[in-house]
Amino acid sequence: MLRKLARQALLVVLCSMLFSVTYSNAQELSPRKPPSVTMVDPGITSVVRGKAANIDLFFHVSPGFHVNSNKPHSEFLIPTTLRLTAPTDIVIGVVSYPTGVERSFPFAPNDKMSVYGSQFAINFAMRPLASVMPGKYAVHGVLKYQACDDATCYPPKQIPVSFLIKVVKSTTESQGRNPAQSPHVHR
Amino acid sequence: MKRDPVIFVVVALAISLMLVFAYKATGKQPSDANGPTGAGKPAPEFTLQSLDGKTVRLSDFRGKAVVVNFWATWCQPCRVEMPWFVELQKQYGPDGLQILGINADEDTSADELGKFAKGMGVNYPVLLGKEEVEQSYGGISFLPVTIYVDRDGNIVDKVFGLKGRGEIEDDIKLALGKKKPTMQAEK
Repeated sequence: MLRKLARQALLVVLCSMLFSVTYSNAQELSPRKPPSVTMVDPGITSVVRGKAANIDLFFHVSPGFHVNSNKPHSEFLIPTTLRLTAPTDIVIGVVSYPTGVERSFPFAPNDKMSVYGSQFAINFAMRPLASVMPGKYAVHGVLKYQACDDATCYPPKQIPVSFLIKVVKSTTESQGRNPAQSPHVHR
Repeated sequence: MKRDPVIFVVVALAISLMLVFAYKATGKQPSDANGPTGAGKPAPEFTLQSLDGKTVRLSDFRGKAVVVNFWATWCQPCRVEMPWFVELQKQYGPDGLQILGINADEDTSADELGKFAKGMGVNYPVLLGKEEVEQSYGGISFLPVTIYVDRDGNIVDKVFGLKGRGEIEDDIKLALGKKKPTMQAEK
């Protein structure tokens, strides 16, 4: 009975050791997971036609990585930028970027870099002209970024960005007005 | 005589473990992990243009130890190690070291690269990279990547990401034949 128990214990220990070694080898040999930046779904933002609104878009950077801020400390580093394209008669205003976090990294402990870490928000102004027909509209854009971890950098990347806004009438608008048709409304 | 199957399993596991440890101790990796450009294999030949318009082939340096460093202007870790390469080229050049920097920028003109390299005091050829060369070295999905090639044109080490100056110098000595290989050939 004791011998059987001892054998089983030995078997369990050996299996665990084999699993550990195999797992650690697999970890060493597995390719690195590239960084990713994803936009948090902003939902549908209501915007009053004829009036300016400020909208925040939130982005997540995958763990272990950072991206350059919009104002990195070198002309050769690639800034994070957002380019938006809205339907006709919806005007995109100034895009405002957050100030980067000043961080130094093991690869350059004496240098401070301006980066965005795990999450950052980009703000922009938007104004649908008064002539825009109320309804949902898609706004598209491209976020360009370049990500690094503590020892490596990945090539610059562009990801598509899109979200919906809902253009609504102002509560003070006069009744009975017949605004011009707008071609990109999403019903 | 009745044989206990558990004993067979235990023995098999023990042998497997010994093989795994022995394999790790010799520093050899499976060929799949190293791909076509693993340590001990011939460095793939390439022909590239240098910033000053010369045609440079890897085979031009046969008989020398060659460090092939893939880099880009947007790669901060690459910029950290470039001054080290400059120093090491000065130090080991007389012993037969030749460093080659293969640039991986896509949208940077040769003039801008020249300005960058001059600013960094680069004293070794900077070559304009090509996708096919990156592919021949197993694909360069992030930077820096540095290949150390011995005097016979064989790869002695392939390093991903930024390492310390001491490790770079050790690999240079290895390529020059001034140092014997350590347990782990590929990092």
